[in-house]
Amino acid sequence: MSAVLQNLVNQPYKHGFVTEIESDVAPRGLNEDTIRLISAKKNEPAWLLEFRLKAYQQWLKMEEPKWPNVTYPKIDFQAISYYSAPKPKQKLSSMDEVDPELLRTFEKLGVPMHERAALAGVAVDVIFDSVSVATTYKQKLAEVGIIFCSISEAVQMHPDLVKQYLGAVVPVGDNYYAALNSAVFTDGTFCFLPKGVKCPMDLSTYFRINTEESGQFERTLIIAEEDASVSYLEGCTAPKFDTNQLHAAVVELVALDNADIKYSTVQNWYAGDENGLGGIYNFVTKRGLAKGVNSRVSWTQVETGSAITWKYPSCILQGDNSVGEFYSVAVTNNYQQADTGTKMVHLGKNTRSTIVSKGISAGHSNNSYRGLVRIAPTAAGARNYSQCDSMLIGDQCGANTFPYIQVRNHSAKVEHEASTSKIGEDQLFYFAQRGIGNEEAVSMIINGFCKDVFQQLPMEFAVEATKLLGFKLEGSVG
Amino acid sequence: MSVSMVTAGSYLETLLQGQPRLPSSPLAWLNQLRADAVDRAGTLKVPPTRDEEWRFTDISPLAKLSFQPVRAVSSLQTADVERFCPEEAAIRLVFIDGVYAPRLSTPSNEATDLGLVVTNLSSAVSAHATAIEPHLGRHAGFQDNVFAALNTAFLHDGALIIAPRNAAVEKPVHLLFVATQKEAASHPRCLLIAESGSAVTVVEDYVALQEEAYVTNAVTEIALADNARVDHIRVQRDSTEAFHIANCAVSLARASRYQSVSVALGARISRYNLNVRLAAEGAECAVDGLALITGRQLADTHTCIDHAQPHGVSRQSHKCIVDGAAHAVFNGKIMVRPGAQRTDSSQSSRNLLLNAKARVDTKPQLEIFADDVKCAHGATVGQLDNEEIFYLKSRGLSEIAARNLLTYAFGAEIIDRISIASLKHRLEQTVLEQTRKN
Repeated sequence: MSAVLQNLVNQPYKHGFVTEIESDVAPRGLNEDTIRLISAKKNEPAWLLEFRLKAYQQWLKMEEPKWPNVTYPKIDFQAISYYSAPKPKQKLSSMDEVDPELLRTFEKLGVPMHERAALAGVAVDVIFDSVSVATTYKQKLAEVGIIFCSISEAVQMHPDLVKQYLGAVVPVGDNYYAALNSAVFTDGTFCFLPKGVKCPMDLSTYFRINTEESGQFERTLIIAEEDASVSYLEGCTAPKFDTNQLHAAVVELVALDNADIKYSTVQNWYAGDENGLGGIYNFVTKRGLAKGVNSRVSWTQVETGSAITWKYPSCILQGDNSVGEFYSVAVTNNYQQADTGTKMVHLGKNTRSTIVSKGISAGHSNNSYRGLVRIAPTAAGARNYSQCDSMLIGDQCGANTFPYIQVRNHSAKVEHEASTSKIGEDQLFYFAQRGIGNEEAVSMIINGFCKDVFQQLPMEFAVEATKLLGFKLEGSVG
Repeated sequence: MSVSMVTAGSYLETLLQGQPRLPSSPLAWLNQLRADAVDRAGTLKVPPTRDEEWRFTDISPLAKLSFQPVRAVSSLQTADVERFCPEEAAIRLVFIDGVYAPRLSTPSNEATDLGLVVTNLSSAVSAHATAIEPHLGRHAGFQDNVFAALNTAFLHDGALIIAPRNAAVEKPVHLLFVATQKEAASHPRCLLIAESGSAVTVVEDYVALQEEAYVTNAVTEIALADNARVDHIRVQRDSTEAFHIANCAVSLARASRYQSVSVALGARISRYNLNVRLAAEGAECAVDGLALITGRQLADTHTCIDHAQPHGVSRQSHKCIVDGAAHAVFNGKIMVRPGAQRTDSSQSSRNLLLNAKARVDTKPQLEIFADDVKCAHGATVGQLDNEEIFYLKSRGLSEIAARNLLTYAFGAEIIDRISIASLKHRLEQTVLEQTRKN
């Protein structure tokens, strides 16, 4: 373990938290000058500026996608400020100052007492424990040679690695929002696992203690070298408020021979009020490249927040015998809209993929599964199994399924099935008969419905996600 | 205009040439409908693969051929088409290159056939104007469908079937469309009106006498009144050089039942759009399809089953057997509109790939806006099961025979649902022959 690396991981607040008073917010609008400003502010090497400018040029030529099954007013990209130096959040001095609504949510979710304060933004120095725990984790990671830092830090400290992999999975011109992100991303996470390293803990554990502010245009890059493995969790069950309406993140995963990356997301951003006012637009590009033989990329997501969700965590199964997985629960209520699913692109021989998607819609919401399974002519013996189930609660909501299946290899086997159901009167009656009230019954039925996905989540999140769903759907049945 | 000026836009103009020479109809609304369709066709374009509805079906080869309006000469004799006719069907309308051939046809006799009307549209249009007006051109919309617009622009003649109230017609009606001319564009049109409580079986059959390139652009409209039953069998055995584009729109009234089996064997590129609208409570439909293709064929089936009212039932099974470098496309949409409670719908798309170069794109699609419904769909793509082949081999069958038998069994499930014995038998033979070619 190099001393440099150790130093690096032990300096958590070095970047971003220094005060740059003179100009920490770029003027609104997007042009080449804005991008040059971002790049200069972050002291980036020339190749990264070129990368950004190339993305910007591509973005200018592209059109906003019209095909997703969502509607929203046109976004004015010139009204957004694309750079502001991250500032430490205004800390509250005690739990008494926290919004009672938020506290009620914590109570419902069963978030441990000591974490509630941290999540609510109460000054963490009063909770000595968490800080020391976080530091211990950082040391542990550094000992085994894992690089885990912000992407801006990685650009400075490990430019070669970033240069090699940035945009390798999601090219700059991949889609409208990915191009925008590539041009203006300000921060995000970088994680590198060297050969043979099994990450000693779920990286989620780390995040629960250190809830960082993620930028509007977040960029995540995770690389697992040969035989490495990691489980990473993004997001948090606690509701997250943000003043930026548009979020366009890009996540890239690269798994080399025998590597294993498991990426879990729990998304509970502000979804707007019950009349559909406000809420976050979450337009995300996530893609994993299973590059090496026997590699595995696994996505698990629990999507409960955002006014509009538009994301398709995908797997490019390039290495022979590589495996792609997608487990998803998407819940929409009130006027939320979700168009989410996955893409499994089979290129290598004997590649396998599994898709399990559960969509629950309530209120006036609209929930779509959109998936692609493509078997290339080279993918001999490829295998896919997809299952997409929807549940409708109330007669004002919609559930849609758009699975695209494209097969060009005759030795491939692809199966897809989908069903739609509802919570039946008879089911609720049965519960009532056993002395279980409506609310609890609904929660139990929903959990049974989502079991296959929750099983994939890290333990403590599975427990919270269960409660989160019940909470989200509160009052929509009976 | 020089030849190099011919672009996609003017290609439509060439398809529309000859339209002004159509005799005008005695009915003002029909002339108006035709004029509207001409206007609409003028503003629409041949869909590119950028169009989501045509994403997998590239019809640009169609625009490369110079299609001519049909030259109405035909010396065909009954003997030439006899082999296509199932013996059960006594009532038959024959169209040669889209033009009605009275010498080969046996229309219904209203006096002896329970009042059943089976005749060509132009000769009946005045007598049955009140029955036709609410249906003709009303179900198959052409606002955003260039091919339906073209067909409607040429709407002059066609097949007309009216099953009168409470008439249960036992014998099937055979509509035979024969293609004989090279590079001709024909626009067959069918209208089937099943009045309340009636029951009728119709075979829509497209055949070719030679392996030529031509284009068939058909539109069929079927309207079922309360409690009516229609059994619709559609067989497309066009030339493997031909282009076959068809739109079929079905509207179901209360407690009516529509049952359809469509079999696609021919055409270089075929596209079949089937839209079934369950427009009243308790309607029911069963829609089955089989595409058996090889070589460089492309068979595209787009269906939309629209549950607009409660208590509807739909069942769909679509199968493709793809050999050679052929390409099968299936897009099956099931729509459950707000308020269409107690809908029960199931759909399956099963595809068998027999060759390394064969290709399948399938997209079963559910759009549901009501909560008390049962909807399920499934799709599979695969090949013959090695264990099943092994089992048959252990019983003394050769590898080839075992494969052919399994392929045949895969397709026979759909063909079995055809209610006309002789036609079923003939199609089974065709599937067997097709598999034996390997």
